[in-house]
Amino acid sequence: MNAVIEFDGVSKWYGNVIGLNKLTVRIAAGVTGLLGPNGAGKSTMLQLATGQLRPSQGEVRVLGHRTWNNAALMRHIGLCPEQDAFYEWMTGLGFVRTCARLTGMSLRKATAAAEKAIARVGMTDNMGRRIRGYSKGMRQRIKLAQALVHEPRVLLLDEPFTGTDPVARRDLSAVIRELGESGHSVVVSSHVLHEVETLTTNIVLVHRGRLVAEGQIQQIRDLIDRHPHRIILVSDDYRSLAAKLVCWDDVEGVNVLRDRQALLIETRTPDSFYARLPAIALETVTPIREVYSDDNNLEAVFKYLVGK
Amino acid sequence: MMEPATVVGHDAVRLSRIPNFRGLFALLVLALRQQVRGWRLIILGLLFLLPGALAAIVYEAAPASARRSSPAEVFDFVFLFMLIPHALAPLAALLCAGGIVRDEVEEQTLTYLLLRPLPRMAIYTVKLLAALIIAALLTSFFTVATLVFIAWLSGEPPTVGYVAQGMTIAAIFSLAQVAYCGLFALLALLMRRALLVGVIYIIFFEGLLATFDTIARRMTVMYYFRLLVLRWLNPARGVTWEFNLKTAPTAANCVLTLLVAGFVLAIVGSLIFASREFRMKTPEGE
Repeated sequence: MNAVIEFDGVSKWYGNVIGLNKLTVRIAAGVTGLLGPNGAGKSTMLQLATGQLRPSQGEVRVLGHRTWNNAALMRHIGLCPEQDAFYEWMTGLGFVRTCARLTGMSLRKATAAAEKAIARVGMTDNMGRRIRGYSKGMRQRIKLAQALVHEPRVLLLDEPFTGTDPVARRDLSAVIRELGESGHSVVVSSHVLHEVETLTTNIVLVHRGRLVAEGQIQQIRDLIDRHPHRIILVSDDYRSLAAKLVCWDDVEGVNVLRDRQALLIETRTPDSFYARLPAIALETVTPIREVYSDDNNLEAVFKYLVGK
Repeated sequence: MMEPATVVGHDAVRLSRIPNFRGLFALLVLALRQQVRGWRLIILGLLFLLPGALAAIVYEAAPASARRSSPAEVFDFVFLFMLIPHALAPLAALLCAGGIVRDEVEEQTLTYLLLRPLPRMAIYTVKLLAALIIAALLTSFFTVATLVFIAWLSGEPPTVGYVAQGMTIAAIFSLAQVAYCGLFALLALLMRRALLVGVIYIIFFEGLLATFDTIARRMTVMYYFRLLVLRWLNPARGVTWEFNLKTAPTAANCVLTLLVAGFVLAIVGSLIFASREFRMKTPEGE
C-alpha cells in the first residue's frame, strides 16, 4: 500500500502554543479515521496537508509533493473544512459551481460537475436555494459537494458530522464509504470514536499534537483492554453493593461516589463483570438504577494510551 | 505505540504547470460580485451623491447676482477637484481594496480560494484588480455625473469637449485609484485597524501634506492627481495649488508614477499574501 499523505517530523507552533509536536505519520490510500479529542491537532494536520499552513519544522507531502504554496497540487486535493463558512448569498449550486470554476473548468463543465457532486450528497432538490437558508445538515452536504466537485484523488474531511442530524449522518457516511470504495483516499477527522468506526477500521490517533497510535481499530481496542475498565453503578444502596463487589476476583477497585450515590468499579475483565452483574442486581434489596461505562469517550481512550 | 501501516513509498502524481486562466477569470467574477454586494456600495453611492446635493443647496441658497457669475466653474473646482478627490475617491479605494483579504478571513471563506489551484500571488492580484475596477468605475461614474449635474444646474452646458472632459476626469480618477487601491490593500494586509489608519492617512497625508509646498508632498497621490488636473483640464483659472508647472513633473511622468506606485504596491502585497499563513480557527479551537 502506498502512502498518500506523509508527515515527516512535523511540528507546528502558533507563537508559544504548540499545535503539532514532531509528528511522523504516513497515511495510506483508502479511508482513514483521524481521531483525537478537541484541540489534539487534527485540524492543524489537515490545514498543513492542504497547504494552508506551513510546517514550523519537518515536511508535509501529499501524493509525493510538498503542500505549502503548491497551487498545482490542489487539483488533486479536496477539503471539507470544519468551519461553517460559505458565500451565504449564493445558492448551493452557485457555490459548488464557483468552486468548480476556480479549479479551471469551463462554465458548462463546472455546471455538470456541480450538479453531479450535489446529487451525490443528496442535495439536488435544494440546490437552487440560497445557502443562508440551509439547515446545518444541508450546509455540511454542500460543503462536502464543493470538496468533491473537481473529483480529487485525496479528500480530507474535517469533522464532517458536526451538528448533523441522524439522517444526514447516515447519508454522509454512505457517501464517504462509497468514495473509499471507488478508489479515493479519504481522511475523516473526528473526536467521536464510533463515528469513525462506522467508516473504517484504519485509524490514526493524535493527542496534544503527538501521534499516539495508528493502525487497525481492533488493535486500539486490544490496547485499551489491557487497562482496567471503569464502570459506574448507580444505586441508592451503594454501600452494601460495594461490600459485595470488593469480594469479586475480577474487581480491581471500588470507589464510592457519594455525591452521585454511585460506585466506580475498575475491572480488567469487563465481559465477565457484565455477565455476573444481573445476579448481584437481583440479590440486592435496592435495585441498581444505572450502569454505564466511563470509557465510552475518546478522552478516556487517550488517557489510557498516553498513560495518564 | 503500534506498528505503522505498511508504507513503501508514495503514490506521486505529475502536477500540471499550465496556468489556470479560467480559474483566475472565475475568481475575478467572484471578486467583482463580492464587491458589488452588501452595504459598501450603498454607502459609497450615497456619499458620492453628496457633491451634487451640496452644489444644489449652495446654488439655491446663493443670491441671484452670484448665480450669474459662472458658478459651474467654481462648483466644478470645489466639488469635482476638491471634495471628491480629497475625501470620496480615497475612501472608495479604502473600502473596496481594504477588504479584499480581511473580509474573506473574517468570514472564513478564504479557505475555499486557497484550496483551488490558484497561485497565492494571483489570488491577491486578481482580487485587487476587482477592487480597482469597482473603485475606478464608481468614482468615474459619479464624478462625471456630478459634472453633468453641475452643468445642468448652472445652465452652462460645456458643449465643446463635453465628452472629452468627462473621459479625462474618469482617466485621472482611475489613475489615482490605481495607487490608492494598491496602498490600502497593502495597509489592510499589514495592520488590523486598517480602516482607521486609512482614514487618518487620507486626512493627514492626502489632505494636509499634499497642500503644503514641500518635497514631502511628492509622496502623495494627490500631488500627481492635481498636476494631471492642471495639465489636462485647467479647471479654475488662477488656481494652481502652488505648483510651478514649468518645473513640476510632466503629465507623462505623473501617469507613470501613479502606475508604477500602484504596481509596486500590488507586488509587495501579493508577496506578503503568498508568504503569510491564514489560520482558520475551528469551532473546537484548534
